Amino acid sequence: MSALFKPSANFYARFSLVLVAAVAGGGLLGLWGYWRTPYAQGLQEEIVQPVLFDHRHHVVDDLVDCRYCHFNAERGASAGIPSTEMCLNCHSQVWNKSPKLEPVRRSYFTGTPIEWNRVHQLPDFTYFNHSIHLGKGIGCVTCHGRVDEMAAVTKVASLQMSWCLECHRNPAPNLRPRDQITSMTWQPPADPAAAQLLATELMKSYDVHSRVSCTTCHR
Amino acid sequence: MPPMKSLPVIQDHAAPRPPGHRSLWQSVEELEARSSASRGEFAAGASEVPPEMSRRSFMQILGASAALGGLAACQPPREKIVPFVHEPPEDRPGKRFHYATALALDGYATGLLVGSADGRPVKVEGNPAHPTSQGASSTWDQGALLDLYDPARARGYSRAGNPLSWRGLLAEIQKLARGHEVDGGARLAFLLAPDASPTQAGLVRQIRARFPKARVHAWAPVTEENAAEGARIAFGRPLDVQPSLEQARAILSLDADFLSGQGDSLRLTREFARRRDPAGEMSRLYVAEPAMTITGASADHRFRMRGSEVAAFARAVAAHLGVVPVAPALSPELSRAAKAVAADLAANRGRSIVLAGVRQPPAVHALAHAVNAALGNVGATVRYSRPVLSDAPSSSALPALAKEIEGGKIDTLVITAWNPVHASPAAIDLGALLARVPNALYLSLREDETSRRCSWKVAQSHPFESWGDARSRDGVASLVQPLIAPLYESTTALDLLAAFVDAGDRGALRHVKGHWAATSGLDPVSFEAQWERWLRQGIIPGTAEPAETPAVDVAGVAAALGRLPGAKGEGLELELAPSYGLFDGRFANNAWLQELPDPITKVSWDNAAYVSEATAKALGVEGGQVVTLSIGKRSVQAPVMVMPGHADDAVTLAIGYGRTDGSAVSKGVGVNAYPLRDAGAWFAPGLAVAAGKGRHKFAVAQGHFAMEGRPLALDFSAKEWKHDQGGGELDHLRGMPATAQVPVDYSKQECSWGMAVDLSKCTGCNACVIACQEENNIATVGKEQVAKGRIMHWIRTDRYFSGPAASPETITQPVMCQQCETAPCEYVCPVNATVHSDEGLNEMVYNRCVGTRYCSNNCPYKVRRFNFLNWRPEVPDVETLLFNPDVTVRSRGVMEKCTYCVQRIEGARIDARTGGKKIGFVQTACQQSCPAEAIVFGNLNDPKSRVKQLHEDARRYDLLHELGTRPRTAYLVKIRNPNPDLA
Repeated sequence: MSALFKPSANFYARFSLVLVAAVAGGGLLGLWGYWRTPYAQGLQEEIVQPVLFDHRHHVVDDLVDCRYCHFNAERGASAGIPSTEMCLNCHSQVWNKSPKLEPVRRSYFTGTPIEWNRVHQLPDFTYFNHSIHLGKGIGCVTCHGRVDEMAAVTKVASLQMSWCLECHRNPAPNLRPRDQITSMTWQPPADPAAAQLLATELMKSYDVHSRVSCTTCHR
Repeated sequence: MPPMKSLPVIQDHAAPRPPGHRSLWQSVEELEARSSASRGEFAAGASEVPPEMSRRSFMQILGASAALGGLAACQPPREKIVPFVHEPPEDRPGKRFHYATALALDGYATGLLVGSADGRPVKVEGNPAHPTSQGASSTWDQGALLDLYDPARARGYSRAGNPLSWRGLLAEIQKLARGHEVDGGARLAFLLAPDASPTQAGLVRQIRARFPKARVHAWAPVTEENAAEGARIAFGRPLDVQPSLEQARAILSLDADFLSGQGDSLRLTREFARRRDPAGEMSRLYVAEPAMTITGASADHRFRMRGSEVAAFARAVAAHLGVVPVAPALSPELSRAAKAVAADLAANRGRSIVLAGVRQPPAVHALAHAVNAALGNVGATVRYSRPVLSDAPSSSALPALAKEIEGGKIDTLVITAWNPVHASPAAIDLGALLARVPNALYLSLREDETSRRCSWKVAQSHPFESWGDARSRDGVASLVQPLIAPLYESTTALDLLAAFVDAGDRGALRHVKGHWAATSGLDPVSFEAQWERWLRQGIIPGTAEPAETPAVDVAGVAAALGRLPGAKGEGLELELAPSYGLFDGRFANNAWLQELPDPITKVSWDNAAYVSEATAKALGVEGGQVVTLSIGKRSVQAPVMVMPGHADDAVTLAIGYGRTDGSAVSKGVGVNAYPLRDAGAWFAPGLAVAAGKGRHKFAVAQGHFAMEGRPLALDFSAKEWKHDQGGGELDHLRGMPATAQVPVDYSKQECSWGMAVDLSKCTGCNACVIACQEENNIATVGKEQVAKGRIMHWIRTDRYFSGPAASPETITQPVMCQQCETAPCEYVCPVNATVHSDEGLNEMVYNRCVGTRYCSNNCPYKVRRFNFLNWRPEVPDVETLLFNPDVTVRSRGVMEKCTYCVQRIEGARIDARTGGKKIGFVQTACQQSCPAEAIVFGNLNDPKSRVKQLHEDARRYDLLHELGTRPRTAYLVKIRNPNPDLA
């Protein structure tokens, strides 16, 4: 009786073992890589909103402070999304006939809220609080990016836990004077020594003790 | 490091308790050596999936969810943000606001602060400015929130099944009222819930003026009419009793469960607990009662006797004090007790008090008044004032009404009282009678037995949705303000009654405001400012009833005592009592209160026929056996449970169970005791008990927390304690134990959290359990799962007995996560889901937990709770409003536990540190609700904090100290204050 397997079977057996390992390993590696892509993190995706609201125009041309609309950022967990009424504080006077603002007027007169699409979305088990971050000198731009350059707002930070912890473990480089909180262009001093000095000074004067205990964010 | 073997941590057995100290036991079964411990730690089947899910379908679901899980992981669904159209000026997204309001139970209000998150009420607290609550709240106050969001609530209005609009209902009532006006309301009757609302009293006055011949009855299943009648005997007029225990050194309770229940229990618990600290002058509590109550469990001396025998005991005490001439014959033991009690009361003239319970006949109340007057207690420990209820509720209302309906004399009956059909006395078939009333109009929060028989159904708004006013027992008036617009189309009693004087369209707010504007006598502008102030404070100043000093008619009291039927020596006696969870049954739809274990027997989702061990033996029945209880021709079937300390020859059955109508929560739970009840009666002689063959399985939250004979809940007598402060027994139970680890130094932190629980103060009332459930989004699991040991309460009140089963001593001990510094759970978690914070908290990270349950297995305190199933597979939309937004809602396969209300700590931290301040006052939910101030939480690194002082108290000890876990929760031993003459 001839041999059941040819000598080449040895090669195929080894090859398929390697293949299985490679597919499994490659798959895991792929997932690992995929999770790091901007796509998986939802970055660079321009979210279309029901009203074509342009932050560029309001921030740069009209010089409206972030906190005019996001009124709760300094005093509460949520920054606050402006009510329809707040839009019409100005737009009852300016552009009050613009067809682009029709959904806003309709909302106001029918009493139906505008449903905005959420851009920055944390899992429900994560509790983020705006007021404490602003109070300790973290600027809007640090997490939300150059909103003044965005036609439609996109997410610029992954909002992954490692990203949060990076700053919570070493907040100093991200601190800025409180009067520059909403500035989109403020930069720390170019001189590293001066930047370091300012950071140390801010850490002290704002009494920054960023925490990394689990319950700081997960309750 | 010493070799591991010598460490006490791994020794098999705890150091034995010094000889001479009593051993504790939890249930009669345990005492009889059929120990639950021998069955193992978990109940049988505790880790099985429910039987309806086969292995095959489980695999299918598993496969499907894996496939779906893979797809869903690509991108989370995009959420919407829906801002206001018109922002309310006070809106602060995510911020908790508290509004002062009041919640009345049978007319007596408790002042509350209700926390509202983004417009929905999510947490009930007591109002610290209110004299009755003083910041605490009861299980029923807390449970009201679940009632608000109950999807089974009644909605809308209907007549003979045809829906009506509010306008339509008003028009119909107007027509009806016009018709009754012709004959002065001769064929019109009202059956009202007991109420002290001044505005409602005004409306009822208007109704009486318009319909002079109409009958207005106030009725409830549980009333204080005996107390009112007792006052009438003693003083010639009904008066409310206002006990004050702050100064009381000797307290005699005649079947009065004053630490739980209606009206003033929160204030009385606080005052009582303040006198239980051995550092001050301790009070001494004597209780005479049939079934063990939490008041009896807190007593220094408890005399068990049938309800009908309390009068004789009271007379014996009074005779020793010279208040009544002759003392009836008592057993030698009881007459010795009566003598000692009388001597103690006499020794504390002006600082003693005798309290009579709602179950006792008027003569006993009258006697209590006479004794208090003789002891000079009036004005010191007891005050009298005019009754605050506008119409005195009476159990004779239903028989009178039934007679009139039978005579065909009533065309229209307006019912705002709770469920009279279910709770009507045995002799009256009110359900059938209501069918004979052409217009029976029933205002109710839920559809129940009564609404089924009424032609008009009117949905009632929850108190948290209503405008109104209320008065507490001392007369202090509060405004009731709505926290949320009515979730369903519904109305209030004020609006409904106003409709009968053609003012139904004005709205309750206008009626209330109108009343108080007229009462205040202020001009409209200053009244508006005053109104805002009242709303903010939660009380209307200057409304307390002034104290009266009535003279006691001693001869009248003696005559009333003479008319009392003597206690029957032979035969069994039936004792009825309100239930700790469901009260008279109105909370039967409330899953929190259904699942809440009874403080004494730890039965959840059930009532039972409680008997003493001796009576059970005499009857030849045992726990779980179904028996037929009959009085005359009426009978009910109920399962027996042996209750330690129960009076012999008596059977106690709690009312409020056995509902035939209502939601899935209430239907068929327990046994309805009302068919055995005569109008207003609480005990009945001539009970026959026939043993049946059936067996009933109780869901008892007691056996699966076996304590393995270790010294856990400790008590000393005041004398022992004064002598040598425990004689060094506590020294083994505190301080730094020998452990293998280098202890972490927390002293450099700003905060290091700790807790102290004073067992001397705890009464076991369970307010903390429900407060925790509400604060932390804790699920209810149902009877079957409770029986498997899957109850989810993060804090439990363990209850131990010591001494003989016939008359044991009781100790209650709240146990929550002890936040061990060297926590056994943390070593065994394979995914670091439970870790320590830099402030000494044992954190539980739900999103990391993979559900191995190793932590729970390794927890010596058994305080971790596992979501064996998804307890909330489908939450109705309205119930999602209930959730505390600051706490994650846990799902299946996740371990959960107490973290000292870490969301409150973090909230306080953020508030303080945003403003550049240090963290100030943080209260945990259990601490805030506790009427006894037994739970203290705070910062151990602050030498001035109360918790730090208690941690250094001589009474402090640690639970399972020998395991070296170094818990952050300290216990303070209970000190009893027995009478040396009764030793």
